[in-house]
Amino acid sequence: MIHEHWFEPAPRAPENEPDAPGLRIVRRSFLSALNLSLIGLAVGWFEQAEAADAKAPAASAAAAPGLQPNVFIHVAPSGEVTLVCHRSEMGQGIRSSLPFLFADELGADMARVRVVQGDGDKAYGDQNTDGSSSIRNRYEELRRIAATARSMLVAAAAQHWGVAPSSCTAKRNQVIHTPSGRTLSFGELAIAASKLPAPALAEVEPRPDSELEHIGRALPLLDAQAYVTGRATFGADVRIDGMLTAVIARPPVVGGRVARFDAQAALAVPGVRHVIEMPVPEAPYKFQPWGGVAVVADHTWAALRGRKALNVAWSDGDNAVYESERYAEQLTELIRAPGKALRNLGDTEAALGKAARRVEAEYYVPHLPHAPMEPPVAVARCDGDHCEVWAPTQNPQAARTEAARALGWPEEKVTVHVTFLGGAFGRKSKADFVSEAVFLAQKTRAPVRVQWTREDDLQHDYYNTVSKQQLVAGLDAAGKVVAWRHRTAFPPIATVFGPNHEPGAGDLQQGILDFGISVPNVRAEAAGIDAHVRIGWLRSVYNIFHAFAENSFVDEIAQARGADMRDVLLELYGPARQIRSLEQLGVSELRNYGAALEKHPVDMGRLRQVVERVTEASGWNQRKANGRALGLAAHRSFLSYTAVVASVVHDAQGVLRVDEAWITIDAGKVMNLDRVRSQMEGSLIFGMSLALYGAITMKGGVVQQSNFHDLKLVRIGAAPRQIHVSVIESDAPPGGVGEPGLPPVAPAIANAVFALTGQRVRELPISRTLRV
Amino acid sequence: MRARLETALLGARPLASALLSPLLASALLAGLLGAAGCQTPRAQNSATAPPVPLPVVPERELRAPDAFAVYSERAERSRALFGEASRVLLHARCVNCHPSGDVPLQRQGLLHDPPVLRGPDDRGVVGMECTSCHQDQNLELARVPGAPNWHLAPLSMAWAGRDARSVCEQIKDPARNGGKSLPQIVDHAQHDALVAWGWGPGSEREPAPGSQAQFGALVAAWVETGAECPAPGSVPTVPLGGVPALQRPRTESP
Amino acid sequence: MSIHITINGKAQQLDVDPEMPLLWLLRDVLGLTGTKYGCGQALCGACTVHLDGQVIRSCCTPARRADGRSLTTIEGLSPDGSHPLQRAWVEQAVPQCGYCQAGQIMTAAALLARRPKPSDAEIDQSLAGNLCRCGTYTRIRAAIRKAAGIDP
Repeated sequence: MIHEHWFEPAPRAPENEPDAPGLRIVRRSFLSALNLSLIGLAVGWFEQAEAADAKAPAASAAAAPGLQPNVFIHVAPSGEVTLVCHRSEMGQGIRSSLPFLFADELGADMARVRVVQGDGDKAYGDQNTDGSSSIRNRYEELRRIAATARSMLVAAAAQHWGVAPSSCTAKRNQVIHTPSGRTLSFGELAIAASKLPAPALAEVEPRPDSELEHIGRALPLLDAQAYVTGRATFGADVRIDGMLTAVIARPPVVGGRVARFDAQAALAVPGVRHVIEMPVPEAPYKFQPWGGVAVVADHTWAALRGRKALNVAWSDGDNAVYESERYAEQLTELIRAPGKALRNLGDTEAALGKAARRVEAEYYVPHLPHAPMEPPVAVARCDGDHCEVWAPTQNPQAARTEAARALGWPEEKVTVHVTFLGGAFGRKSKADFVSEAVFLAQKTRAPVRVQWTREDDLQHDYYNTVSKQQLVAGLDAAGKVVAWRHRTAFPPIATVFGPNHEPGAGDLQQGILDFGISVPNVRAEAAGIDAHVRIGWLRSVYNIFHAFAENSFVDEIAQARGADMRDVLLELYGPARQIRSLEQLGVSELRNYGAALEKHPVDMGRLRQVVERVTEASGWNQRKANGRALGLAAHRSFLSYTAVVASVVHDAQGVLRVDEAWITIDAGKVMNLDRVRSQMEGSLIFGMSLALYGAITMKGGVVQQSNFHDLKLVRIGAAPRQIHVSVIESDAPPGGVGEPGLPPVAPAIANAVFALTGQRVRELPISRTLRV
Repeated sequence: MRARLETALLGARPLASALLSPLLASALLAGLLGAAGCQTPRAQNSATAPPVPLPVVPERELRAPDAFAVYSERAERSRALFGEASRVLLHARCVNCHPSGDVPLQRQGLLHDPPVLRGPDDRGVVGMECTSCHQDQNLELARVPGAPNWHLAPLSMAWAGRDARSVCEQIKDPARNGGKSLPQIVDHAQHDALVAWGWGPGSEREPAPGSQAQFGALVAAWVETGAECPAPGSVPTVPLGGVPALQRPRTESP
Repeated sequence: MSIHITINGKAQQLDVDPEMPLLWLLRDVLGLTGTKYGCGQALCGACTVHLDGQVIRSCCTPARRADGRSLTTIEGLSPDGSHPLQRAWVEQAVPQCGYCQAGQIMTAAALLARRPKPSDAEIDQSLAGNLCRCGTYTRIRAAIRKAAGIDP
């Protein structure tokens, strides 16, 4: 099958032009003539043009012949099947899973399939590739979308043969009349099918699951060849004729401004063309450009040197007070006082007062960065009355909105093409870096690429918030938990969107309100605080610190009782049961990740099962032996259930290491077993980094970390020898996969560290207190 | 102030040593220095060494060879000159690439990060050779330090955690100094480009004291006075900035 | 002053600032975008290429260092993605986002060229300069062992 990776990178420059920016990209293919563009989309498939052959964009008047029942699927008379992947590919493998989903339902032969990446367009529905939602939110709808095309091809064949459609099936790019064995290819049927009325989505039935060839299995990675040959086009790989590159000096403190600057030295750097002050953002910051001064140059090297030569004085503003240690003290004060109750069952205060025993602990998790290997970057070209953007964006529709806003133009005049994303983890759903490119493209009247350096990425991120939590449990005489109070204090994501700085139900739904423990008295309280930095969502978001506190605390209860943490955890969970009522949880609302509680209840049976499975796989009964110790944690997030066991040892130098790990996930029905496994492997490593080393701290409002020497990440030598992944086979509706692997990792490691060393770590990263 | 107290106390030593045992004299000296807030130098010289006033210099500066003319006895002067030169040799900028194990050091004696290893030829392992990252000079926009021929001193030339005497003996020993004669050592000290880097380390790194020319002059004068090595346990003449705090390399402190 | 470099087998004459890092020469001047920018401080390895067969971090290596020498990038590792490492990478579905993988493969290729059957410790030591934020390390190890014929 033909699998396009959007933009082939330009090959070697013509020999006589060593300094030329090289080749250009944009010659629209025949695909732009498809209905897809008539509907108002610009479906991006750009072939790289030879320099001598660069043509003007083809007229997009006539629709390409063939069957096109919707914006996602086209079947050509040649038999070629074009599928649109409208969700951003950032390593989760959606560009493999989605085509296989469509192809399976349609009955297409993968060898005849061409995948194109969808631009930002409402016609595709939701494109915000965030919240582990691509499959779980739209699985059935996506199947029906493909079933629509299948039913039309079948109908056309049935009509031709004069048989009932129910006697036909679609497989391997053919419709087969089952009784007689007659076949007609999709190509032969395409035109006829296109003349039939397209049924409504609600009218088509997905085919029986037993007919699915690929869905649910370990599928090949369709883009693998592109990745390993360097041909996959990421944001910075897009090259446009006449493109300039900009590097921006941004205010070190959020809300800071340029006091004065002198461009002279920067402009003297060979290759620098412009020095332009960026617009000053006003709170609430949302996705506005960050401000500062841009150096725009012929190429990246000149821009970097130019920025270094810039002489900028900053006036820092109010957020210069931000200092991590002092802020942590403020958070501590907050959790030591009652907060706003968001969950209440029974009478926790009374029960705590009467309890035979009381266990209490406080937990701190600092700001965390995204640090994708590809820093933010965007390319924009504004010609006359149209603006084209290429960006590694998780949310192309929001990027389009922000770009239009930055230009002061209507959205129809803006096109956003989505490149491959070199990692994202939530960073690239914020369109600030797109706005920057658009602003500079308009200002310079040239195509502009805004390149963020690693320093920019670490120092101007939308950080996962910083939090302090307090957990108090009352135990009865038998040691059973009869009262559970959880206080959490943090500046919420809402602070980037408006004046509200109180965490609400929408925040606490992540791990606190849906923590379906079998305890008669449960209370959860939240307190807010002003933010001095942009807060954003990072892979599993608040679940990271809520899971850390809850699972560490259960371990502390087990420690107090001299009991097995697994037993205590399962006792706390209570019996297998599905919670569908808010009253049972003691809450007045539960966003439940946008899903109906009826369809996706809080399923304590599934949570129990992943704990049981992972502890069995890891040999939990021998959890402290041979110089190593195991730690356990589990969590429900994004409608999936995950449990992790980490094994920790001391190496020959006395440094703590995670030498092995087990992770079990129940994500309901899964699309692509291989990508579920790889997401679990990746979550384990990602979680190790945040558990062991990497934190963001502030002094004077300035982020103290700037690159990988002070923001440490796990390297191959620290990776466990083996990560055992177990995926529960389930018919439950699909849950999330990209994020649920992460929350239990840090607490599993911390619990293992306690088991091995006797030292309880309540503050991340562990390197604050121990050698890791 | 501290240096003056030190020299004054050193002046007291002959009387003390005449009246007391050397051990007691040292203890008395240590106690006095401790009380004065000075670090006690480990036995700098034998009890028979006469006290000599040396000019006070800031940490970043090296004394010139002629400051050591105050030592009338040639061997004594030679030892003292090496003591001054060892302010460079045992400075972090030098010691970091003279580790006693298989991992270079960086900053104030921390283990090199990203993790690298000595390798079979003191030049790293495949894929992590020293020159995979380090160039022949410091860089305009990157913090990676650079100088020609960037590599580790062989294990035989390990200086981390050693005293000045050990370093001295190694430098003089042709079996352990790359087969160099004393004049060649002087030339190496004065002109080698990798050695030169110690004074132009770039980024925010603290340079070795003085300059390569001054260091070279000290080494030349040391050779000229007989290349004597200081007593065991000797430390460089004034407290240094940048000396690894532990004898044994450690990982990044929490 | 011209710099002469043979890049992926092709002799090139380049009139660039001799201090320009090879990374930007490759990407911006020559359009060879397979080699990536990740940190600019030789800390992440995304920019890894071979200079006369040796691994270098092109983000920190000035163009003049390659004068008269030969440079291999991911695009030149094989004509068609058929290097055993590339094959093993595809077979084991190593990449997630894919951004670091060119650098990983280039380092692994240099390793296998000198140590055809590296130990697990040698793999970890040689690849220590290549960061992967997506966490594909266990698959990278497996793919190297596969390509080296250590595992079937």
